[in-house]
Amino acid sequence: MRLFLIITAGVIFLAAATVLFFPHPNPPLTLLENVRSALNQAQRAGASHYAEESYRTAQELMRFGWMEMARQNGRLAPFRNYRKADSLMNLSLTMANQATDDAQKRLGYLDSLTRGEQADFENDLLLWREVLDGSLIKFKAERFLSLASQLLEIGELLISEREYEEARQTIAKGRESLLLLSDMVSQYTDYDAQNISIWQSWVQQTLANSRAKEAYAVIIDKSAHKAYLVRGGKLMHTYICELGYNSSHHKLFAGDGATPEGKYKITAVKRRGSKYYKALLLDYPNRSDRNRFEESKRKGIISPHARIGGFIEIHGEGGKYKDWTEGCIAITNGEMDHLMQYVTVGTPVTIVRRSVQWP
Amino acid sequence: MQARRACACPCFLSKLNPAERNGQMFKRLALTAVVCALLAFAGCGKAPEQEMQMANTAIEAAKTAEAEKYVPDIYQMAMDTLNAAMAARQETDSKFALFRSYGKSKEMFLRAEALAKEATDAAQAEKERVKTEVLNLLAQAREALDSANAALSKAPRGKGSKADIELIKNDFNAANLTYQEASSDYEAGKYAAAKTKLDGVIRKAQSILEEIKKAAAKKIGK
Repeated sequence: MRLFLIITAGVIFLAAATVLFFPHPNPPLTLLENVRSALNQAQRAGASHYAEESYRTAQELMRFGWMEMARQNGRLAPFRNYRKADSLMNLSLTMANQATDDAQKRLGYLDSLTRGEQADFENDLLLWREVLDGSLIKFKAERFLSLASQLLEIGELLISEREYEEARQTIAKGRESLLLLSDMVSQYTDYDAQNISIWQSWVQQTLANSRAKEAYAVIIDKSAHKAYLVRGGKLMHTYICELGYNSSHHKLFAGDGATPEGKYKITAVKRRGSKYYKALLLDYPNRSDRNRFEESKRKGIISPHARIGGFIEIHGEGGKYKDWTEGCIAITNGEMDHLMQYVTVGTPVTIVRRSVQWP
Repeated sequence: MQARRACACPCFLSKLNPAERNGQMFKRLALTAVVCALLAFAGCGKAPEQEMQMANTAIEAAKTAEAEKYVPDIYQMAMDTLNAAMAARQETDSKFALFRSYGKSKEMFLRAEALAKEATDAAQAEKERVKTEVLNLLAQAREALDSANAALSKAPRGKGSKADIELIKNDFNAANLTYQEASSDYEAGKYAAAKTKLDGVIRKAQSILEEIKKAAAKKIGK
């Protein structure tokens, strides 16, 4: 009996000694800390948004590894084995680093993509501004250009805030605005192409009359922003002129900012008393203008309360290098002095939108 | 010597008569059984299922409140505490039944729940703060646009300035469109985008006012 007790005590002692002194592995706590730090880094790099799949996988792997480590911790020391926990956490670490890399790459890609789109958009906008600078359609185009400029600005702000998706949407809207502008310009040029023969015939008639009577006449090419003084059908002098701020179309009503198109005559020569140095009053509206005005009213193109306007002049105070009048034609005071030497009441003034007569 | 041989009980009982011996032995056995039962009950504590459930529910609520986006630090802390609690529970589960004690994991689950609730509250507060900020910006932008519009309608339209005013109108319309977009973003909960757009609108409205002043000055100068 005693022997039995001694043996039992011995076995218990040996078991206790084995448990206490058997070299058992340590839990991978450092690795766990590294994984957590890698996940924090990934989170800061935006992985939860830009590399969500790998980030969430890394989180899950860390959790599994942690649980496995805990499971092993609960076992008796000689039976602990952290190999599975180790590999799960190592996988998690790799995945977390991968998520950081993926997020950084994705962000870098989005950044360069968005900045590229923004730069292209900005270039297109500048190109449009350059192309339309000085053209009659500039005023109408400004509606689209202003919106595009505003969207360009907002896009820049969004990029600086790293809101790439929103920035790209904003840029796309800006591009839509430029597309609408492009459509408008196409329609405008198509209209020009269809009507060039009419304007050309007006110019030819004016030249023929001038030739027949050996008289002076003034031809104004709105697109070229030039006024031509002719005598006997020959070009005598060219003046740079400025027009109504909205001269892409024929004048329809008072206050529309357009310079009229048609065959007119000088009805008064104002050598003094003009607000704009000196002036030559034209017979706008003529019969043709009145007919067009009434028709536009009937068709509802203009308001029924609109007035036809008047007092269209060739006057001084020009030289502002932009279209700024309400519909008149402005030249510099010096050129006004020059022009007034040759023209008088009754001198024909033909205004066309485009002409191919002179360069 | 003979009595000793006949007895199978421990030696200290051998000096007692058989009746006393049986009584004592019974008492000791009963005592041992009670101690073992107590140890077993103490050791095999109940797993903190309810606490775990509550902590998980609180974390889900924090997720719904977008705590990961608005208060990432507190949310991360709550998640870490939940993971640690789960690990502690797992560790206890792995132990021999007699040595199980869930006190530590229970306490950690409660801590994780409290942190998750804190994250939810903080996220809601932060979201509310951002929302209020954007709402204020919306009001500011509206006010700036209204001022610009009022200035535009009062701006002197004469030869030379009418064209400028008409062009400024385009800028105003563009700013107004951006304002409407920002309002939609606000309604959709895209506060960051709305904020950025509204900053742009306010800036534009201010530049419009400046432009109108310039155009008016030009008119007076004329």
